[in-house]
Amino acid sequence: MKNLLDLELKKINQMLKEGVIMPIDLVEEFAKKVVASDLNAFITLNLDEARKQARLLEKKEVDNILFGIPIAVKDNIVLQGVPTTCGSKILENYISVFDATVVKKLKEKNMIIVGKTNMDEFAMGGTGETSYFGPTKNPLNKNFSPGGSSSGSAAAVAGGLTPLALGSDTGGSIREPAAFCGLVGLNPTYGRISRYGLVAFASSLDQIGPMSRNVIENAHLFAAINGPSDDDLNTSSEKPFSVDDITKKEKYRIAIPRFCLTKIINADVVSVFLNCLDKIKAAGHQVDFVEVPFMKYAIPLYQVIALAEASSNLLRFDGIKYGYQTENYQDYDDFVTKTRTAGFGTEVKRRIMVGTYVLSSENVDVYYKKALQVRRELTDEIKAVFQQYDLIMTPATVSTSLILGKKREPNESFLQDLLAIPFSMSGHPSLVMPADKIDNMPIGVQIAGRYYDEKTIYAFALELEALVRGDESV
Amino acid sequence: MRVYKPTIGMEIHAELKTEGKMFSNAPNCFSAKPNINVNLIDIALPGTLPQLNHEAIELALKAALALNCKINKKMHFDRKNYFYLDLPKGYQITQHNTPIGYDGYIEIEIGGKRKKIAIECVHIEEDTCKSIHEDDKTYLDYNRAGIPLIEIVTKPVIESAEEVKLYLTKVREILRYLDVSDVKMEEGSMRCEANVSISDTNKLGTKVEIKNVGSISYVVSAIEYETKRQKEILSSGGQIKSQTRRYVENKKKTELLREKEGKNDYRYFPESDLPLVEISEEDIMRIKEAMPILPDQLYNKYQQAGINEPTIKAILSSRELAAFFEEIYDQKTAPIAAKYLVSGVLKYLNKHGLTLKETKLTAKDFNELIKQAELNDQQIQAILENLLLGKGSLKENLKQIKEGSISNEDEILTIINEVMAENKKEVASYRDGNERVLKYLMGQIMKKSKGKIDPQKAHQLLLSQLS
Repeated sequence: MKNLLDLELKKINQMLKEGVIMPIDLVEEFAKKVVASDLNAFITLNLDEARKQARLLEKKEVDNILFGIPIAVKDNIVLQGVPTTCGSKILENYISVFDATVVKKLKEKNMIIVGKTNMDEFAMGGTGETSYFGPTKNPLNKNFSPGGSSSGSAAAVAGGLTPLALGSDTGGSIREPAAFCGLVGLNPTYGRISRYGLVAFASSLDQIGPMSRNVIENAHLFAAINGPSDDDLNTSSEKPFSVDDITKKEKYRIAIPRFCLTKIINADVVSVFLNCLDKIKAAGHQVDFVEVPFMKYAIPLYQVIALAEASSNLLRFDGIKYGYQTENYQDYDDFVTKTRTAGFGTEVKRRIMVGTYVLSSENVDVYYKKALQVRRELTDEIKAVFQQYDLIMTPATVSTSLILGKKREPNESFLQDLLAIPFSMSGHPSLVMPADKIDNMPIGVQIAGRYYDEKTIYAFALELEALVRGDESV
Repeated sequence: MRVYKPTIGMEIHAELKTEGKMFSNAPNCFSAKPNINVNLIDIALPGTLPQLNHEAIELALKAALALNCKINKKMHFDRKNYFYLDLPKGYQITQHNTPIGYDGYIEIEIGGKRKKIAIECVHIEEDTCKSIHEDDKTYLDYNRAGIPLIEIVTKPVIESAEEVKLYLTKVREILRYLDVSDVKMEEGSMRCEANVSISDTNKLGTKVEIKNVGSISYVVSAIEYETKRQKEILSSGGQIKSQTRRYVENKKKTELLREKEGKNDYRYFPESDLPLVEISEEDIMRIKEAMPILPDQLYNKYQQAGINEPTIKAILSSRELAAFFEEIYDQKTAPIAAKYLVSGVLKYLNKHGLTLKETKLTAKDFNELIKQAELNDQQIQAILENLLLGKGSLKENLKQIKEGSISNEDEILTIINEVMAENKKEVASYRDGNERVLKYLMGQIMKKSKGKIDPQKAHQLLLSQLS
């Protein structure tokens, strides 16, 4: 089997331009690979449509680097005429009648959407195991989870099925699987990418973002999908990011929250991180430890804010308008209760309960309003750091990837996102990329930047990528 | 004997007259055919996000200013969460914490005294869809889902059904004047809820809510019934339960809808799908300047111009008529214009069941017509009717009347002399000092000339002939 899909985008693009290969070759290679794969990365394949589109592209000029490239899309992003399940029984047979704005943008670039990827149910989970369609396996070691909730997107890219994928991130759902699969994943500035067509989990945190094998390809995909849009009123009118904006700086000022050295974080992870910092310092950059005291509240903060919003966002799934419906019922209340009881999985129901609890009139002040205050404080702290530093770096996760099928405490599913959540809360962009491996499993670092300053993150990430590789030329 | 006094708070829902819905671009219009004016957002398809209708915000701002409210210059929307068939998203987008207007009032006049009814807040929200129950089935019509509403909430300060009536009438008049809402209770574009409690002390009694009553007179009747019902319960030693009741029109009484067991918990929290909305001082000034004068203000103005009360009330009864009047308003000609507007135009409209817009009359022509000093009342009325019907232009009508009118002094004198010859007894009587016959003689002259003579001129000439 030819391994076209393992080539760099630049190389594939060149071959397409030269007419050595056709988009259909890429689609067929994907089809073969995905059928042979036991990763369970996809919930729905879009092969017929993909082949049709590939044929149509043969008449078009190869006008951009993403032209004809197969891409996997997380199954909480809607694609017209194709099921969008969100990894849930309640939407098992739900077919969207419209395209998400990001999907339209992918189509404008003539990318080929080859399938919808597996995920934790409604993006609630960190291992992919809450999916109604079964867990996804980590291509690097199939006994391990690829992370979550963008499990299938991560596995598709790491497993060589597609060079690129879209994920969504509410509190680490792109970044954690990127770390566990040795990928690059970006959670953009809140408001950079239209959420129209992304099934909402927590509206004030949700973002769509690119997942890729390397930094520059990540930047290309981000450039394709970012920019203001009338259908999401929270998108910013800021000038959209373009790959040409990436310019290398001589010296970056990088802040490291001292919290990154807390005992909660696995010692091996910390040592990889410190080792990475040494290389960065050796390359002439300024690395300082700073205090961000509110970071330690990340998980309870997330549990209150995200779950409160989720409890409301998931109310629309009552079986009346679409989705799974119970068959035997007495009245409306009974119908809704039975539909939701059978339609949602345990983790989703647990999170709806917690969210409902923290918003109830007797608890709203103690939990939700307090959390809003903490969110503001934390945001102010992070903004203050960015007044003096270009970037903030942390380890990506608390440990390396987790073994599949192990019984876990409900709280554990949040733990890996300890360092990702603060930037979701403040809305700052942050990127995860591989730094090293322990026992053959990857360990990632996280690089956060100022609002709308993804270009600086990318510029530095490109340099770090080379440093990690051990390139001499940097 | 104990004296129980009622305390009433009112909630009014008024649909805003916008092109589109509050949070989607689907059309906002009344349609008998169900599920026509619906788009993806209205039925809460997964992945949809709300839009924001700025026209609705402008209309709500207009209403809030007219109700003398303070304005929240930085406002956000909130979610009110609950399950019901008619609520597509499982939450209603409303304004819980930052209503567009708050701390307002309007004045009513009761027993010759003015009373301020305090308005707690005016907030913007979306309507639910309409559910129609037939046999054991429920049908859902999403045409109504997402139509912009304002909710106007008073403080519990209203003390009688009569005050409620005056308050509702006043609010409806204001909203109609501002053209922010159709305020048609029969079509549901205005809906009322009353919170009624009674007490014999300064402490408020237990509140009973009466939902969705279909007209102002039904609201009055419902409150009267409810006050009586509560008095009877308390007088016989009973206790009022916190309930939601509905008014049954043919029985003229309220009936239990449901007991309020514990408080409904709507778990309000900010709607983060929508950005903050900022209202600037310039926005407020711009709307204030463009705002039509409200009925209260017009009433005072017309009274000062010397127009009588029945005429003022007749003009103010129709927003369209008042707007027409305002367009040509001139203090000097106001009484005469008002007279013809009511005795001519309004009478015609009522007779034919038309609105002013459906006739051909323009404000400019009307204004010119009433200034025609040489025309008599009959002639003006005749031309007015022609203009309403679109029979000829004003110019043509005036020309016709002038051609038909007898302006030649000799011709007029001939007629006068003829009348004097036919009524010698009366002429003699006048010359004996009985001035009252003058009116009779004038009548005869006008009759003979078929109204074609200018009465002032005829009067002058008659006097000179008699002396």
